[in-house]
Amino acid sequence: MALTGLARARALYEARDDRARELKAQGKRIVGYLCYFAPPEILEAAGLVPYRIRGDIRERVTDADQYVEPYGCPFVRNTFDQAVKGRYDFLDGVVMAHSCDSVQRMYGIWTHYRPAAFTHMVNVPHTVTPASERFFHRELGFFKERVEAFAGARIADRALEASIDLYNRTRELVWDLYQLRKSNPPLISGAEMLEVLIAGGGLPAAEFEELLREVTAEVTSRRDGPGAKRARLLFYGCINDDVTLIRLIEETSAHVVMDDTCIGARSFLGRVTNGGDPLAGFVRYYFTGFQCPRTYRGTDRSRFDYLIHAARQFQAQGVVLYMLSFCDPHKLDLVDVRRYLEDAGLPSLVLEDDYTLTNLESMRTRIQAFVEMVA
Amino acid sequence: MSELRRAQKSLETVRRAKEMLGTFYRRQERRREGAPLAWCMAGVSSELLYAFDLPWEWPENFGTLCAAKQVATRFCEQAEADGFSQDLCSYLRNNVGYVSRAVELGATPPEAPSGGMGTPTMLLGSGSLCDPRIKWFQALSSTYLPIPVFHVDPMSPPHDVDPRDPRIAAHYIALLRETVCDLVAFLERQTGRRLDLGRLRAALANAQEMIALLWEIQELRRAVPCPMGSEDFFTGAVVPLLFMLGEREATEYFRCLRDEVRDRVARGVGVIPDERYRFLWMGLPPWYNLGFFNAVGELGAVFPIETVYYVGAPVEIDLSDPLEALVERSWKRATWIHDWGAEVIPENCSPSGFSAPGTRLIRQWVKDYRLDGAVMHRTRSCRAVSWGQVHIKNQLAEEGVPSLIFESDMADPRSWSQSVIMGQVRGFLGAVEASKREAARA
Repeated sequence: MALTGLARARALYEARDDRARELKAQGKRIVGYLCYFAPPEILEAAGLVPYRIRGDIRERVTDADQYVEPYGCPFVRNTFDQAVKGRYDFLDGVVMAHSCDSVQRMYGIWTHYRPAAFTHMVNVPHTVTPASERFFHRELGFFKERVEAFAGARIADRALEASIDLYNRTRELVWDLYQLRKSNPPLISGAEMLEVLIAGGGLPAAEFEELLREVTAEVTSRRDGPGAKRARLLFYGCINDDVTLIRLIEETSAHVVMDDTCIGARSFLGRVTNGGDPLAGFVRYYFTGFQCPRTYRGTDRSRFDYLIHAARQFQAQGVVLYMLSFCDPHKLDLVDVRRYLEDAGLPSLVLEDDYTLTNLESMRTRIQAFVEMVA
Repeated sequence: MSELRRAQKSLETVRRAKEMLGTFYRRQERRREGAPLAWCMAGVSSELLYAFDLPWEWPENFGTLCAAKQVATRFCEQAEADGFSQDLCSYLRNNVGYVSRAVELGATPPEAPSGGMGTPTMLLGSGSLCDPRIKWFQALSSTYLPIPVFHVDPMSPPHDVDPRDPRIAAHYIALLRETVCDLVAFLERQTGRRLDLGRLRAALANAQEMIALLWEIQELRRAVPCPMGSEDFFTGAVVPLLFMLGEREATEYFRCLRDEVRDRVARGVGVIPDERYRFLWMGLPPWYNLGFFNAVGELGAVFPIETVYYVGAPVEIDLSDPLEALVERSWKRATWIHDWGAEVIPENCSPSGFSAPGTRLIRQWVKDYRLDGAVMHRTRSCRAVSWGQVHIKNQLAEEGVPSLIFESDMADPRSWSQSVIMGQVRGFLGAVEASKREAARA
């Protein structure tokens, strides 16, 4: 019997790239992307299958060391290690963006040692100004042209609008699921939510929409949801594309009820304005409004207001700040964000990791102590 | 700490740098009570600041100075105590720690070298080269110094995008032009003065002359024996290039340096008496231990060229519109660098005067500078400069050129291990020697 809902999400999460490989076998062309600064809507509108490249926290980085230094974003190194080992051999294309130094440099190394039929980097300025917004708009225009050349056909305005609509529907469905985390206990756990989002990264948007509808139907009628726990937490920080840590937090008697990470609220809440100039909608959504710390947004700590607002909305009692080694943008925001949370009466816990989770037991102890404190 | 030593400079001009570059080394005299003072980063055009008659100081340079004077550890530790990760750039930690301590004391920290930095009224950052530089002044301003911040933020094309495609060029130049114009507008607001185009033109003319002189020096360094090593480059060329570009004094200094290097080449005088190995230096230097280069020199090795603070070939610019000339110079230099292989270089389009060389250029240097190998300094807290060394090592290996990568840091001396590093260097020299002997036999 075919799996549905959360069970299907878990299977897709575990199997990672199975669906993409199936589609490839059916003649579809799969394009991997590392970050949302390169809007997947454009790939989808061209008839390509966007695939969000994942790391594998359980896989030790070995082969990549022959080509790239040990100091650098451990997530990015991990993804490249898998590429070197042939795990991404089903990708017809690889798209990256200048989201940070590590990705900018990895693009050159990746395309040198693992060339693909289609490769492209979307350049992203570091500051939000009218000039940088205009630049990013033009940059997306070049990206669209390159995608069209690879796909062999111009992307019709109607196709792009349909793709934006489709992605907006998935975002609305994700937001609906997030709403189900407001109750106490929430109807869907943080780990389940993350599994669904990660699973969606490996699917065409229409299949993700279908999965979200199944999950929503299941969750709203379930009787076996997360039980009562002692605390409600918000999870903030670096990319987290593995559910182990969220599960660990939830095992220590705290619900993860909200997040601010790139495979989470940062990317899925809100909508791209459709109609008129679609690229302008992408600029607003993926650049101007995209709360990635790699972009300079002034010096006022009120730039974190959205985070306090989210914590209040979801009644989080504390915030877990997840930091990967060598992540300069996040680590440079850390002092400000901690102080701002503290001023707002929200305690925080910093968990540092090198994208291996080898210190899981020490994390467990620290999370337990934190839960004791905030509960 | 006794293993850390200052560089023994070889060239007379470099030994006289402090005296010849008084504008920089006596910068305290330029500070005026209550008047604007900018702290800026490499990537901001010093010619523009000169045109505004705006005194400026460089936290990055102050980091190197603190490292050289062996006080960087104190400031780095202060920043770490304030919550800034040890992963972060040691220049940044040094600066944050210095400011934190100054705020705490309400005065310049007594251990600060050269009387410390002046109190800034504005922070001028840059998106060139690395991420921390776009976040550094944000952290500084939000936590310690609530003063206005501006960043110049030009971009450079990825390695597989052709900068000579007119549409691509127009795309990148538009951003560059706009960010430079935005900086001018910011400076006009902050200083209450209009940009003096005549001063800017004069500064750019000086800079053009200086870049041409430095290029000549770099070309002269191809000579065997090598007339100028990395110890002299780092102690004698970095300050005028990075922090005084456009100032007449710096240009005259480089002319003097060029003359001395040219004279050495004519007379066949080298940095070390018995030059046995010639190496490319890749990475930032250990500023707290520039004597490292002398220590390696004592083993018969010299460094005739470096990848950092590389000036590249001079480019022609039209000075009739000096602001446009600044844009033209930045773009033409970025294009020149791009032509030589840009797959592992950082953001390279910058209104300042230096860049990072690409892979093909480094391969070319092996022939031009008759290199026996490369020594690469992997700096844990500066991934921007270190990232790509393994790739370059692979590229050089294809030419049969050996490389050594060793690890420490540019401004945090806690990461230096003299015995381990010198052991690695000796082992590397042994391997190079053996392969030279084998090549001679073949």
